Amino acid sequence: MNATALYFEGSMTQESTEIARGLRRRDPDLLDRLIEQYQHRLLRYLVYLTGRRELAEDLFQETWIRVLERGHQFNDKYTFSTWLFAVARNLAIDHMRRKQPASLDGLLNGGETSFDVPATGRASAFDVTLQREQNEHIAAGMLHLPAEYREALVLRFQEGMSLAEIASVASVPLGTVKSRIYRGLSALEPWLKGASL
Amino acid sequence: MNADVHEQARKLIASAGPEVHLGGEASPSANAWLAAHLQTCASCRAFAENAAETIRGLRAIPIAAERSLVLTTQMRVRRRALELQRQRERLWLVSVSCIAVTLGALLSSVALWRGFAWLGERAQLAPPVWQVGFLVFCVMPALVAAILLLARGTHCDSHLADQTGSYRG
Repeated sequence: MNATALYFEGSMTQESTEIARGLRRRDPDLLDRLIEQYQHRLLRYLVYLTGRRELAEDLFQETWIRVLERGHQFNDKYTFSTWLFAVARNLAIDHMRRKQPASLDGLLNGGETSFDVPATGRASAFDVTLQREQNEHIAAGMLHLPAEYREALVLRFQEGMSLAEIASVASVPLGTVKSRIYRGLSALEPWLKGASL
Repeated sequence: MNADVHEQARKLIASAGPEVHLGGEASPSANAWLAAHLQTCASCRAFAENAAETIRGLRAIPIAAERSLVLTTQMRVRRRALELQRQRERLWLVSVSCIAVTLGALLSSVALWRGFAWLGERAQLAPPVWQVGFLVFCVMPALVAAILLLARGTHCDSHLADQTGSYRG
């Protein structure tokens, strides 16, 4: 491992230790800072996981309350984001269990939301429209995927988590994570081509 | 080439994402094998291109938290932190009270035991007699409270039975 990688690993461990210490004290200032820092990432994860913006916003608030209450359980050997997403995931599953005895699968057909897809890059109007359309297809395709696949794709490609971190959040073996990503991407392939399934 | 080989290649591509040429988290030998496979397999190459396109599309979907949501959450968290702090303070107070009561009860029991022994000696009573007296004295408050509570419960039950009877009647 080179010096830069060691430096970053060291600073990450130090950050996790500081967060763990603050969470044990239930430091409200630290929580304010963490809410600011992880607001978009956590909400995005929950929106993809539940497929419903309103529910995701409720769970967003509940997640932070849970972080406050159970902060002493955070182990600084792991990154805070991994633990945070695991807390959010458990809350989402608990929510579904209260509604109907189910696992993450229950989140699939609960309702649908639409993701606002912006135009990207500097390209011709035609390219922009095409790109936007394609993104809309992908967003629509995401809503039709099983929640486990959606979760794996979001954590891998939007949150940039490692396979091991995803396995830790989802409490599944590494091989399952790889399979979910593969199956998720394969299932999105027809949507990329604009098919409406 | 059998289907397993393609599936293996596609799993590697999927795990690595658009940075497939960088190898993702796979071992160097797996990456070398994948690179060689992609040279010869057009369908896996197409899968890699589609996967990269899909991931780019995924990343282009913005979902942002609104300011009001963040502020509400921060406020709720602060309020809950305050509640938990008060709970902790109350718990501390109850614990200290419990310890004080236990210590007080222990000390007063010793003093009472000696008092009853002294009285028994003065009244020339047999030890079992003043010991029973001590026991009754200690248990009496609890007995009185239990009798009162039971009487109240019976009274409530009969009152309820009367009401139910009159309702049915």
